[in-house]
Amino acid sequence: MSRSEVLVDADWVQGHLDHPGLVLVEVDEDTSAYDKGHIKGAVKLDWKKDLQDPVRRDFIGSAEFERLLSERGISSDDTVILYGGNNNWFAAYAYWYFKLYGHDKVKLLDGGRKKWELDSRDMVTDVPARAATSYHAKEQDRSIRAFRDDVVAAIGALNLVDVRSPDEFAGRLLAPAHLPQEQAQRGGHVPTAKNVPWSKAAEEDGTFKSDDALRSLYGDEAGLDFGRDTIAYCRIGERSAHTWFVLHELLDQPNVKNYDGSWTEYGSLVGVPIEVGDAK
Amino acid sequence: MSAAGTDGCGAPAGGIKVTGGAGNQAVVQGRVTSAGTPVPSGYARLLNSDGEFVAEVPLGEDGGFTFYAAPGDWTLRVLAPGGIRTECAVSASTGMITELEVAV
Repeated sequence: MSRSEVLVDADWVQGHLDHPGLVLVEVDEDTSAYDKGHIKGAVKLDWKKDLQDPVRRDFIGSAEFERLLSERGISSDDTVILYGGNNNWFAAYAYWYFKLYGHDKVKLLDGGRKKWELDSRDMVTDVPARAATSYHAKEQDRSIRAFRDDVVAAIGALNLVDVRSPDEFAGRLLAPAHLPQEQAQRGGHVPTAKNVPWSKAAEEDGTFKSDDALRSLYGDEAGLDFGRDTIAYCRIGERSAHTWFVLHELLDQPNVKNYDGSWTEYGSLVGVPIEVGDAK
Repeated sequence: MSAAGTDGCGAPAGGIKVTGGAGNQAVVQGRVTSAGTPVPSGYARLLNSDGEFVAEVPLGEDGGFTFYAAPGDWTLRVLAPGGIRTECAVSASTGMITELEVAV
């Protein structure tokens, strides 16, 4: 897929506000960010309350996803433009999630909320009223989702990309440094994983680097074998969705899975191999 | 406004506080101001001693930011609308809250 099919820039969005068939959706880690101001016409999705099962650790099922999007006024044939904070981590996660449920027309706003804010573009607090729809979701596309057994089986066989910061990879931190450090898991990384922090794929303003820069980052610098399948993971699967987007959508790697269980699951498993220390 | 540099950084009056609030965390927190007024729109980025990105938070309405770092030396970079970009060096220690005031 070419970049223009999966990414739009801020000028394009500015010129397509209120465009029929186009729905802007903001997804944030800080879910109060939307309430303080968002792009005109954007609806909000709460990555936790809306997209996670409230009891089990898993996603909502396809029937619940249908109910959610119908209620938010999003149709199966709408073009969904996702954006959010944290350099689009949660927007990329939502992008992957929409793809998981088979939504065809979905794109990311390059640079997300940060670029929009740093450009001093207009934000509003009005919440749009959208008529309910009858959204139709497909069954989950498991070809883009990895589970823990897939990760264990991938050790030494497939590309494993740990997209957390070097300190988390080495085991010195258990969470990104803007969050309190958790204690439940062991620190470290999956043996044979390459550490390519998600942030290396982004410019300082949150936009993605060029295809050439990305190809050399994962290929020449990190030593990923582009002929092999890849699993990306982080701590809870949102930063690795950002890297999944880069590898699968921008660089057209055919078989890339996001392991949404990520380190909070893997680092708590009994008996699985863990390696500590900096990347070699 | 200052260009990328370390001239706008300082510990607040009273210097670096040691409080019981940090527990076993190495906290770096502070506030970004412009001519004494909080900067509510912008981003604080934490870079490690190799200059590699580690974490980022949007500034709070009071211009505030908080990081839970590991002990060691870090660089704090602030980005704000209008092309503002400035940075400060900061050291974090376990059990301590290191406070910074960043003027842009």
